[in-house]
Amino acid sequence: MSETLGRKVKISVDGRIIEAEEGAILLQVLLKNGFEIPYYCYHEALGPDGNCRMCMVEIEGKKRPQISCDTFVEEGLVIHTNTENIRKVRREILELQLINHPVDCPICDQAGECSLQDYYMEYGLYHGSVEKGKKLHFNKHLDLGRNVMLDQERCVLCQRCTRFTTNITQTNELGIVWRADHSCVSTLPGRKLENGYAMNLVDLCPVGALTSKDFRFQQRVWFLTPTPSVCHGCAKGCNIFVDHARLKYHDDTIYRFRPRKNPDINGYFICDDGRLSYKALQTGRLEKALFEGREIGFDEAVRELKKSVECTTGRIVILADANLYTEELEMIQIFANRIGAWLYAPLESYIDEKFADEWLRNAMRAANAKGVEKLGIATTMPEIKRDTLLINFNHPVADSLDVRRRIDFLTHAEGPETGSRADLTLPIAVWSEASGTLINIDGLEQRCEQVIYPSDPVPTVIRWLEAYELGERCIV
Amino acid sequence: MREVKIVSRRFDIPGSHTLDIAREHGAYEAVERAFDMGPEAVLNAVCESGLRGKGGGGAPACGKWRLAKEHSDPTKFLAVNCDESEPGTFKDRQIITKDPHLLIEGIILTCYAIGAHDAYVYIRGEYYGFQKILQGAIDEAYAAGILGEKTLGREYRVDVTIHRGAGAYICGEKSALLESMEGKRGHPRLKPHRKEPEWYFGRPTLVNNVETIATIPFIVKEGPEAYRNYGTEKSPGTMLFALSGHVKRPGIYEAEFGTPMMAYIEHYGGGIRDGMALKAVIPGGASTPVLTADEARSANLDYESMRSLGSSLGTGGMIVMDESVDMVEALKNLLAFYHHESCGQCTPCREGTGWVDAIVASVLKREADVADLDKLLDISWIMNGKTICVFAPAVSGVIDAFVKKFRAEFEACLRSHV
Amino acid sequence: MGFAFTEENLEELEALAKRYPSKEALMLPALWKVMEQDGYVSMDAIDVVADYLGVPPMKVYGVVTFYTMFHLEPVGTYHIQLCRTLSCSLCGKGEILQYLRNKLGIDVGETTPDGKFTLSQVECLGSCGTAPVMQINDTLYENLTPEKVDEILEGLK
Ligand SMILES: Cc1cc2nc3c(=O)[nH]c(=O)nc-3n(C[C@H](O)[C@H](O)[C@H](O)COP(=O)(O)O)c2cc1C
Ligand code: SF4
Ligand code: SF4
Ligand code: SF4
Ligand code: FES
Ligand code: FES
Repeated sequence: MSETLGRKVKISVDGRIIEAEEGAILLQVLLKNGFEIPYYCYHEALGPDGNCRMCMVEIEGKKRPQISCDTFVEEGLVIHTNTENIRKVRREILELQLINHPVDCPICDQAGECSLQDYYMEYGLYHGSVEKGKKLHFNKHLDLGRNVMLDQERCVLCQRCTRFTTNITQTNELGIVWRADHSCVSTLPGRKLENGYAMNLVDLCPVGALTSKDFRFQQRVWFLTPTPSVCHGCAKGCNIFVDHARLKYHDDTIYRFRPRKNPDINGYFICDDGRLSYKALQTGRLEKALFEGREIGFDEAVRELKKSVECTTGRIVILADANLYTEELEMIQIFANRIGAWLYAPLESYIDEKFADEWLRNAMRAANAKGVEKLGIATTMPEIKRDTLLINFNHPVADSLDVRRRIDFLTHAEGPETGSRADLTLPIAVWSEASGTLINIDGLEQRCEQVIYPSDPVPTVIRWLEAYELGERCIV
Repeated sequence: MREVKIVSRRFDIPGSHTLDIAREHGAYEAVERAFDMGPEAVLNAVCESGLRGKGGGGAPACGKWRLAKEHSDPTKFLAVNCDESEPGTFKDRQIITKDPHLLIEGIILTCYAIGAHDAYVYIRGEYYGFQKILQGAIDEAYAAGILGEKTLGREYRVDVTIHRGAGAYICGEKSALLESMEGKRGHPRLKPHRKEPEWYFGRPTLVNNVETIATIPFIVKEGPEAYRNYGTEKSPGTMLFALSGHVKRPGIYEAEFGTPMMAYIEHYGGGIRDGMALKAVIPGGASTPVLTADEARSANLDYESMRSLGSSLGTGGMIVMDESVDMVEALKNLLAFYHHESCGQCTPCREGTGWVDAIVASVLKREADVADLDKLLDISWIMNGKTICVFAPAVSGVIDAFVKKFRAEFEACLRSHV
Repeated sequence: MGFAFTEENLEELEALAKRYPSKEALMLPALWKVMEQDGYVSMDAIDVVADYLGVPPMKVYGVVTFYTMFHLEPVGTYHIQLCRTLSCSLCGKGEILQYLRNKLGIDVGETTPDGKFTLSQVECLGSCGTAPVMQINDTLYENLTPEKVDEILEGLK
């Protein structure tokens, strides 16, 4: 076991020789090497539990089939994963799972990412063989809170969810109650999930028993394209998949964020706030440039920008959002130098102690705060006088500033106004519509490719500033 | 047939559960002897006696004791299994009510031999009345300086605590029992990858049945040879066999291993109810495969004979059935038990026990056909050898024996026959 | 309504705690004290036990529902638990059940309107040699016959 982990040994699987670390979990090794082993209860993040009995393989020298999730690799193991016997084991267990499980895949939200459905198709089971049994009735629509819905009839009791709340979040909201085939997953009567990571349960559940209220019935999963990216919800920089699609009559749209494994940052999970932060990327967006309250086109906007900047004699202060990519910040830095402006990215305004916890959630709610520091951009709050020209690149503090002259580059149309109104307001792309690098709170640099390609894209910071460079000098 | 009383020696003495009477008849004499012998010698005596566990598995006590004793952790525990929930079994109950001091003596000897100081007796919740008798004896033993900081004046502490269960057959399974004692649901643990003791809060622990422990005083006092004097080479000694069902005198009667089953039933049980013929015997608690009357006639009460008949000795609790019994009903009765008692942890057992119960119910209602009987055996197959604990394999053995040995009765109930 | 252990029970539990390597071992003992005090385990009691043991209430709830002798709802003053397993069935349990049903006017799982008797069937009580048997609260009654049942119930009035 763990004391010997590390040494490479050879094992034979279905006649193929495979190298693996001694002491590694056999199931993990088999999956990694492309063998198809059905399983429910094992999960890399949760470890083996051995309750589903689906992952059985035959090991030479052992009388009975063994569960591969609780078998450790040793030199010379000879394994068979697909014998008649093993196929029969899987078929029978599957059939047992289906006894109390409604075969209603067409209306199940998990369809397309349900192991039960996959196996059920693969093993050619059919309705007839399971009808004779009894079907026990459980609660099909339990609102567990935090956007998580439980359908107890679809549950295969793999205990992934209960192990998550017991061992990972240690918030203990879920447990198995009752006994025998009355066993079911439950919260305490009248109580709900109350942890900020609850929606991971939906990803963990191998069948359609736990679903997201946010995502339920929104989109059949097979239409979705998963693009790897990084959450911008805080400086942790959790790795995610952005599931998006461009459907008939619709623009390229994000339907959800899912965690993407990264042992160095977020492991297997993300927080719920981060997960739901996709919504803000596509609501309340600023789409058109506004000059004195009137919509203008890109070229005209560049001209107005140039005019305002170059005709200014007074002090110019630029505020840059610490969520911008390093490349964007660099471009702003160059721009600031060129026009002789003072560049700041005050970090104070991003700090949210209430958001922070001991695990992933970080009080610094800006994705690239470390990038700002690395570029040497001032992170303090500048003094801004009323006659200063303020050029704001989406910095949250700018909202509340009262200046006479300002130019705003914004991702979103302004909310309730406290500060002054800009003469010139320019829309910029959100992070999913741009690409670049981020440095997370622990100093890890991560590259993010552009995810969303809208049919009518909003310019990125870089595009605006490049256009500015190319534009003609302002003639007063 | 020679009569022998090793564990039941004091059962019939009035007041045998009290310390005075028990001591008058030799209780705690083995303790003195053990302290003179030393722990290693006590362990050796148990090993030489060939004592096998009486909780159902029949595993030699020796190996388990050594695993606990030789573990490097100095804190070890003894858990005495008095969950006694296997249908047909009611022997441990006799020990804790008729000779509780024998059990306490055995506990002291066992603790001393393996180096444990804390023993727990896990008693099924329903035995509350009997539990009080054992508690009374424990209290007496404390008051007399037999339990507590010193044992009969010797420098060895033994504390005995009763732990009351609350209605769950599976908690008789040793790892589920320890989970239960740790304050959890009684879910059996995954099997270890190598030979190792059981664990209680991470500490090496020995789990033995009440009767196993109650046999220790005799072995220590009279020597392993005296024990081997009885029984067979591979099943040495005696056991508290039990009779229930259709016999004239049901009850608990100690006998040596190797006693022919029918001779035992005749001699102690007075034979089958009047005017009725024997149909079948479940030999060692509900979870052992049923024997036909013919098989019963050739069976001896020992592990090897039972194994050769494809059954097992289990707890030695025989359920005797005469010709009036409908074997489909009998199986249905047992399957309802397993359906109710599965811990629900692993798929084949959780779903399987419910399903087989439903299928046999449909057979009884004349709603099933041959395909359903095949399905029954299929489910039995998946419950055998593929689960976390041996609860499901036992159910599988029960089903196979009933259906295969009495197939005609099952077929007569099928829809096509009506 | 709120639950609290009696002083006496708390003392007993404290004494018992010293006998175990961990306080969590007191789960069943503590729940038995609850049963003794209230006759069932209320949600309030679950919180109190959880707090006392230092474990999550969900764990206590999982345990309470696992063991059949704990109830989440009150049962009748006398809880009649007739053994339904094989030896008792072979020896006339069916007749006793029918008799109890008629006599009490309730079916299995029901409680008499006066709240006095609840009738349950339970699994093997470990007394197969004296079948049929039943347990009323903590007392076992063996070798049952209809006459004996009359006598027993009479004694409870
Ligand atoms: C489902 C199941 C139920 C069991 N019930 C009991 C029981 O009630 N009493 C008992 O002593 N052993 C029972 N056992 C056996 C125990 O697991 C364990 O082997 C035994 O207590 C060890 O003691 P022994 O070696 O002295 O027999 C049960 C085993 C299983 C699988
Ligand atoms: S709800 Fe899903 S994750 Fe939880 S036990 Fe059921 S199947 Fe497993
Ligand atoms: S912890 Fe931060 S980066 Fe991670 S998912 Fe939550 S908001 Fe996003
Ligand atoms: S075989 Fe049955 S009793 Fe044993 S662990 Fe599995 S579900 Fe529980
Ligand atoms: S994955 Fe191995 S038993 Fe469930
Ligand atoms: S069958 Fe009723 S007590 Fe055992």
